[in-house]
Amino acid sequence: MSNQNDAGKITIERLSVTYCSGGRTTRAVRGCSFGIPKGGIVGLVGESGSGKTSALMAIPGLLPTGTLVTGRVSCDGTNLAELKEEELAAWRWRRIALVPQGAMNSFTPHLTIGRHITEVLSHHLKMPIKAGRERAAELLETSGLDGFLQARYPHELSGGQKQRAALALALACEPDFLLADEPTTALDVITQKEVLDTIVKIVRGRGMGLLLVTHDLPLAAGICDELIVMKDGEIAESGPARQVSGNPQQPYTKLLIDAIREMDVAR
Amino acid sequence: MKKAEKIKNAKRLMSVLSLALLAALAAIGSTPLGLKDGQVAPPYSKPHWLDSKVASTIELRVSSSDGDSAALSWVYSPPLRVWLTGTLGAGSAVRWDTPSGDFTLTREPGEIDLDFRDIPFKRALGISPFHDMAHALFPSRGEYALSLAGSGDAVMRIEGGRWGLLGTDHRGRDVAALFVMGLRVSLIVGIAATLIATLLGLSLGLLSGYAGGLTDALIMRAVDVLLSIPTLPILMVIAGIWGKDLWSLVVILSIFSWMGTARTVRAMTLSLRDSSWVEGLRAIGAPRGYILFRHLVPETLPLLLANVALGVPGSILAEAGLSFLGLSDPRLPSWGRMLHDAHMFGAFTSGAWWSILPAGIGISFICLIFMDIGHKLEEMADPRLAALTKRKTIEETS
Amino acid sequence: MTAALKRAGASAAVLAAVLALNFFLFRIMPGDPITGIVDPRFSPEAKAQLAAQWGLDRPMSEQFAVYVKEMLSFRFGLSMMTGAPVWDELKRRVPNTVALLLPALALSSALGIWLGVKAALNRGSALESAVLLSGAVSFSFPSFFVQLLLLMCFAYYWRLFPLSGTTSIPPPPGGMAILDYLWHLALPLFSLVVMGFGGFALYIRNMMVKALGEEYVLMARARGLPFRRVVWNHAFRSMLPPVLTILLLSLPGVVSGAVITETVFSMNGVGRFLLEATNSHDYPSAGAAFFLLALLTVGCNLLADVAYVLVDPRARRTGARD
Repeated sequence: MSNQNDAGKITIERLSVTYCSGGRTTRAVRGCSFGIPKGGIVGLVGESGSGKTSALMAIPGLLPTGTLVTGRVSCDGTNLAELKEEELAAWRWRRIALVPQGAMNSFTPHLTIGRHITEVLSHHLKMPIKAGRERAAELLETSGLDGFLQARYPHELSGGQKQRAALALALACEPDFLLADEPTTALDVITQKEVLDTIVKIVRGRGMGLLLVTHDLPLAAGICDELIVMKDGEIAESGPARQVSGNPQQPYTKLLIDAIREMDVAR
Repeated sequence: MKKAEKIKNAKRLMSVLSLALLAALAAIGSTPLGLKDGQVAPPYSKPHWLDSKVASTIELRVSSSDGDSAALSWVYSPPLRVWLTGTLGAGSAVRWDTPSGDFTLTREPGEIDLDFRDIPFKRALGISPFHDMAHALFPSRGEYALSLAGSGDAVMRIEGGRWGLLGTDHRGRDVAALFVMGLRVSLIVGIAATLIATLLGLSLGLLSGYAGGLTDALIMRAVDVLLSIPTLPILMVIAGIWGKDLWSLVVILSIFSWMGTARTVRAMTLSLRDSSWVEGLRAIGAPRGYILFRHLVPETLPLLLANVALGVPGSILAEAGLSFLGLSDPRLPSWGRMLHDAHMFGAFTSGAWWSILPAGIGISFICLIFMDIGHKLEEMADPRLAALTKRKTIEETS
Repeated sequence: MTAALKRAGASAAVLAAVLALNFFLFRIMPGDPITGIVDPRFSPEAKAQLAAQWGLDRPMSEQFAVYVKEMLSFRFGLSMMTGAPVWDELKRRVPNTVALLLPALALSSALGIWLGVKAALNRGSALESAVLLSGAVSFSFPSFFVQLLLLMCFAYYWRLFPLSGTTSIPPPPGGMAILDYLWHLALPLFSLVVMGFGGFALYIRNMMVKALGEEYVLMARARGLPFRRVVWNHAFRSMLPPVLTILLLSLPGVVSGAVITETVFSMNGVGRFLLEATNSHDYPSAGAAFFLLALLTVGCNLLADVAYVLVDPRARRTGARD
């Protein structure tokens, strides 16, 4: 609760997100509190509509205009939830980067992959374009892609390549925290595993903090240090990953584990 | 947001009602409304409600059968022109009583046809030829009377510079009458040309989509070409060569506006042709004509209806444009023609805005109405679009 | 490369269609062209001589070939109105039409883009309502009506601009001539922009609303890029291909508008020349004016196509246009 604990950690306290559109209000997140330590991997698990994506998007302040956000999202003594769009721009990508849900449409179609990376580098780190290109090639290689792919346009890449490129883009400014929203859902099972392994390897290697949002509890349990299970906008259960998946206290958590297991059996 | 929904519906209702009203007006025509075509008043007479200092055109009638005098209370500035016509029996006289003195206008037997600007007439009344008769005969406000002593009949026509609901144009024709006739032309041309164009587009689109191959390629290239040629110059040239009557205009307009419909119908036909139920029909041996006219045409009909409504403004505007350029039948009053006349014969250097505004507003208003109805029909025809708006209204209402 | 060839082919097809249309329109007109052109009291020998002079005695196919050659080398024959070569008449008028159309197109699309983007960024604002309204107005108000109103207000009542013409008669000397020209151009240009920007603004607003909802725009924001950069370099830039398509489709209408605008303002341009030629049955002039207007459209079309390929990486690599 105090600011000293914030150092190297994103702390979320009593976060509520309420969507207001056309006179109807939907409370997507209802008073959730959790933290993402630097160097730790936190899994946020729940079915679709449980509010996990809303919680993730609330951290860098990317919810649609007109959405009511209450509570604190603090990092290094700053409450991000109170910042204006211009002030948030300094935090986004330099400190907190995003790996989007199924990176299909997350690239601007008329820019090459390399241009996406050099744009971020030149804006945040004032890196000249030429140096940026070399850095972009390095980044793509770390994410398991060939450097020359940076000359390609988004529509020329496959789904798995796009997801890796999104990861390379997220790493461009060496952020402290990575927020990954279902980073592998749109991919086939084998590519899923490869991409996820790459993410984990990089995050562990660089000591970054990762918030992994997924509906797949067993998968998250295999990766994360800590698990948070969300249901209807509230935290149903949280704790060390092994404890939550191995000895679930809540019926809902059991349900999630069983659902995935049954699907695996069916496969 | 029930209120927004209500306003929207009210607007739609207004559009439909206005269209019905205008159609009724066009159907009735100008004559039953008591509007006369041809010259009725001096050129560029003001609308009746505009300037109360100026007299309307008034006709005073006297005859030996219905008494012998017609009274007039005059509160206006002197009139522009005065005429006296009729026949007079022997030994009769027509007299004009003014507050400041009486005149005997004529005592010549036989036909009377007197223009009050005629010099002999002025002389006969003892007024200088250089003096304005109107000032002499209408010296002040007050009670005037035209009277006939003896037998015969006479009509005194006093033209004051005010006429009717909307004034007159450069030839002294009633703008309100022209407006109603122009409305008729616009509706006929707009709807007829669009209907023909839609039928053309429907058949070519069906042919293109269903036949495929070379036919399809040819028709679609023709669409591309026609869409990238400026149509107005062609229409001008054709109208100049072919003649300018109403129905050739309709034909010309429809020849150059079927392309959009053909594209839409082709796209729909393509998607339907490959759909499983049409394939099923083919599999059970349904003839091509049956599939086309019993299944594909009805499927495209709702969208076509919307296309018609959305196409009408284009035809109306094209007709108005051609008429404005003077490429329509000069005897047929249309809104474009009215604006053409206003432009050619200096309506605004005479300050006669009333001969510009009605036609222009008429065209704009009728186009807006058709657009509005067209959008509504489109929403109804395209379930995806409709679902989208419905969802939006649910969001707004709940 | 194939894409460029395909587009060039399409332009050539349009041009061929225009030429064929032009040729046949003037030859299927009722009656013998000679009777329409010359005095009926001429002797049959004189008529035959004239027919030979105009090449009307040769077979249709040969006439067409000659016609195409003449058209493409801008030899349009003699005007029946003035007796001067049609091309000489047109040469003086083409710059006036271009000076009206290109700035009108540029200004109305620029204004339309700016207002459309602003409207999309401020949903529910008065500006958005104004954009929606101006769109409806530009689709349903006849341009000549609006122009007449402008003429009545600005030229007749307030006397800020001239009532008609391209230049004063006689034109003022020296540098004033340019100012005089611009003074005459101002009102027609303004009217075209007023009538033109609404449609653009409406399209741009609709497309921009869609583009702003795209995930890549959200992601560009997530990358901490400045607002302007997100709006223009990502959202707007990505919808340039459809914007160009709209621009392309509006070209024939813009050229048609020139005829009306030049008539309303009595400007000395190709459009009014076409009208005068049509009214006085001067077929060589009418045909040539129509051909030039079509050429102008095709030329702009080609330019827009080149721009399209430059702007859309998908078209560049695969040659497909969606």
